[in-house]
Amino acid sequence: MLDNPMMKRCIGMGALGLALLSAVAVAADPASESGVYTGHDLVVHAQARTPDQTTAFYLGRGFPAAMLKEFNQSCFVTVSMRHTRPDVVWLEPARWRLRDANGRIIERRDRHYWNRVWKAINAPHASRATFGWTQLPESRDLQPDEPVGGNITIVPPTGPFSLEFRFATGKNKTGPEIVGRIEGLVCQAQESDMVTGNAP
Amino acid sequence: MSGTRIRYGYRKRPVTRLGAGAVLIGWIMVSTLAWAADRPPGLMVQNGRPAPDLRLTNMEGEVTDLRDLRGRWVMVHFWATWCGPCRKEMPSLQRMVQRMAPERLHLVLVNTAETDDEVFAFLGLVAPDLNSLMDRDGQVTEKWQPRGLPSSFLIDPKGRVRYLALGGRDWASEPYLAFLRHISQAPAAKVPTTRR
Repeated sequence: MLDNPMMKRCIGMGALGLALLSAVAVAADPASESGVYTGHDLVVHAQARTPDQTTAFYLGRGFPAAMLKEFNQSCFVTVSMRHTRPDVVWLEPARWRLRDANGRIIERRDRHYWNRVWKAINAPHASRATFGWTQLPESRDLQPDEPVGGNITIVPPTGPFSLEFRFATGKNKTGPEIVGRIEGLVCQAQESDMVTGNAP
Repeated sequence: MSGTRIRYGYRKRPVTRLGAGAVLIGWIMVSTLAWAADRPPGLMVQNGRPAPDLRLTNMEGEVTDLRDLRGRWVMVHFWATWCGPCRKEMPSLQRMVQRMAPERLHLVLVNTAETDDEVFAFLGLVAPDLNSLMDRDGQVTEKWQPRGLPSSFLIDPKGRVRYLALGGRDWASEPYLAFLRHISQAPAAKVPTTRR
């Protein structure tokens, strides 16, 4: 199934459509939906992707099966944010904390982790590049009204989990720190059938 | 005598009105020029560092080398078909090109790590007049270090990075067109270099 170009295109377009639709839906009324934090003149959206959504997106971009199998071992959480503060807000996912319902820390898999994996399986450079641009930056001095979005990847937790984020502010990070939390995120447990070829 | 005074009086009023009109017109002209020179939202001033090398082919195999474009302003725009803001912004880039003199500003699209099929299918739908260079393995994009996709760098005629656009925007809207026209007719040395 992975070798069928028509299937790849269909899945890719489907995933893209889902992503675009969900982006529109999330943007409609951030205050009234789950997965959204608003406060301190910033808005943060977070949404855990299903394994099928993640696999369909990268499969549609021609990613090799070996990379897709690696994705099935992680949960992808799409995060986007924008602020209207007059100063700089520092995006640093390494300072964020993800916790399960029992308060246990959930491990985030950063770019170093993925670079080691890609090197080990000799992943194509184009796919590595695309994957990298779909991830949230590891550090970014967000200017007023500068949009940013991308995925963070975590070890799939069982049950709902929370995302607690911390943002330093000011050019030299000397401004007040912003702390916020998004609750009730859920990663689906099962792997995507698209990778194993068991899809109907 | 009194008639003279009246005539004088009648002559004086038009002169006053003419002066006020001239002042008003002058103020409007100055304001318009000042507005045109204003930097619209989302454009970060850069420090004038030399632009990284950029030599890539488009889908027809034609080579573009950024060094060959010295002498005019160049917008280097990094994008990908999977990126929502890129998809939204691309039609405005085509409209911008249609409204700017090519000898003033040259648009260079760089697709990041996608295939000819993906780019051809997308551009044909949303911006058929544009062509894109193909950064097939993503290494050139990596060297330029955009803050994300899409990203647009404005390079001055001497090959220095002057502005970086944060995220997507309507490049064909009047504030951006006015800004691009303003910088592309000013000598490169007069472009502000203060970093925000």
